[in-house]
Amino acid sequence: MNNRNDKTNTETSNSVKLKGSGNGFKLTLDPSMPEDSIKGELSVLFENLKHLAQNAKVVIDTDGVKGYDHVIENIKSYLTKKFKVGQISTYIPEQTIEQKTDSSKPWMFHRSDVLMLKGRIRSGQKIESKKHIIIAGDVNPGAEISAGGDVIILGKLKGKVHAGLPDNENAIIFALEFNPTQIQISGITAVGGDETPGNKAEFACVDKNKIIVQDYLKANPFAKIPWPEAM
Amino acid sequence: MDGKILVITSGKGGVGKTTATSSIGAALAMQGNRVAVIDMDIGLRNLDVIMGLENRIVFNIVDVVNNRCKISQAAIKDRRIDNLFLIPASQSDNKDVLTTKGVKRVAKMLKKEFDYIIMDSPAGIERGFENSVVSADEAIVICTPDVSAVRDADRVIGLLYSKSITPKLLINRIEPARVAKGEMLSHEDVLDVLSIELAGLVPLDEYVLTASNMGLPLVLQKESKAGLAFTRIARRLNGETDLPIEVPTHKTGMWNTISKKFGFTK
Repeated sequence: MNNRNDKTNTETSNSVKLKGSGNGFKLTLDPSMPEDSIKGELSVLFENLKHLAQNAKVVIDTDGVKGYDHVIENIKSYLTKKFKVGQISTYIPEQTIEQKTDSSKPWMFHRSDVLMLKGRIRSGQKIESKKHIIIAGDVNPGAEISAGGDVIILGKLKGKVHAGLPDNENAIIFALEFNPTQIQISGITAVGGDETPGNKAEFACVDKNKIIVQDYLKANPFAKIPWPEAM
Repeated sequence: MDGKILVITSGKGGVGKTTATSSIGAALAMQGNRVAVIDMDIGLRNLDVIMGLENRIVFNIVDVVNNRCKISQAAIKDRRIDNLFLIPASQSDNKDVLTTKGVKRVAKMLKKEFDYIIMDSPAGIERGFENSVVSADEAIVICTPDVSAVRDADRVIGLLYSKSITPKLLINRIEPARVAKGEMLSHEDVLDVLSIELAGLVPLDEYVLTASNMGLPLVLQKESKAGLAFTRIARRLNGETDLPIEVPTHKTGMWNTISKKFGFTK
């Protein structure tokens, strides 16, 4: 515990430490110490706080030491009586949450960063999101899509798409039939060609400050990622 | 039972909204319905000219909405077709004289008196369009097989969906010969982009211009292919939903009929 001595300035010894946290105080103590010495140190600390101690919220952290519940109870009632502390609770470590997180399956705990829409996007409609966008349907000429991340179209792309706004050069634009009027990835613009696309899925990405369009199955950009990542 | 309000719209101008309105209106009236066709293009009225009723206009839709006359006073009866009435637009006002509230009120009254109320919407998606679709039960979007008309129709379809109206598509001015040569979008290409239910396909027809200029109803011209197509559209609207949609073809004659039978041509 000596290593923590230099971190706070309100502590008096190794066994009791007081720290402001949030809208209250965090009290770190070692309940295996004699109760009287703890109380003595507490009184010094709380005298210094003066009126700040009144009605304050205090969280007691035993730093993982268990089995001294009666000591804790005594300390609680002592603080309430002597310094009129408002609310005293015991600190519960966050270990339980951490234990559930299995780093080999990050997608299990991943909040979605994807906006998925079903249906046809028509001329004059504009879809904007800071996330990735997935459209299950066609994007008609005259429609606009702008995303902070990737744009994936499970259908025909004939409209205008901005991906990776404002400066994500790793964004891609994917469509099962790739024939856009204009595309933009992180500020780099390319206009759609007149060539009629074959029946192949294509995607656009940035390569050396230029937008290139590739056959999706041949280039297979995501297959290069060795381990599944949450998007 | 209350009548149905059908709005004919397109977004783009000059695709045949007014012709379609007068033809479908006339065809529905000939099938025994009480029909009112209403010109909502305030300031640029055309429907009266195409129907040949221009000289009989006294009151117009603006007068009706602003309570200056009754519906029966403004509705002009067509002399050739029974049960067909025209409520013309005002030529001297602009589109801002109508309010959606006023149109809604009049639409309610019209529904009591007529079986079908067909509104000819102006081009564009501004005030005039808003007024036309505010109380519509059904909508027909007219589109010609060219890229700009398809683009505008797509926009209008989106707007109609946002007003919870499910529109049907009428593709006008199809030139089968040019479609076959690949110079023109086919109706399949248009449907591929717009993907809504088809109301009908109308071929390009030289009768349309002469009939419009003379103010004759197109559906009374027996030789007019467009007139026949509009009649079939009206029949489908009037409940004959299983009447098949006829795709305009450019080949006629005995040999083609025979080869069609044997499956050599489509």
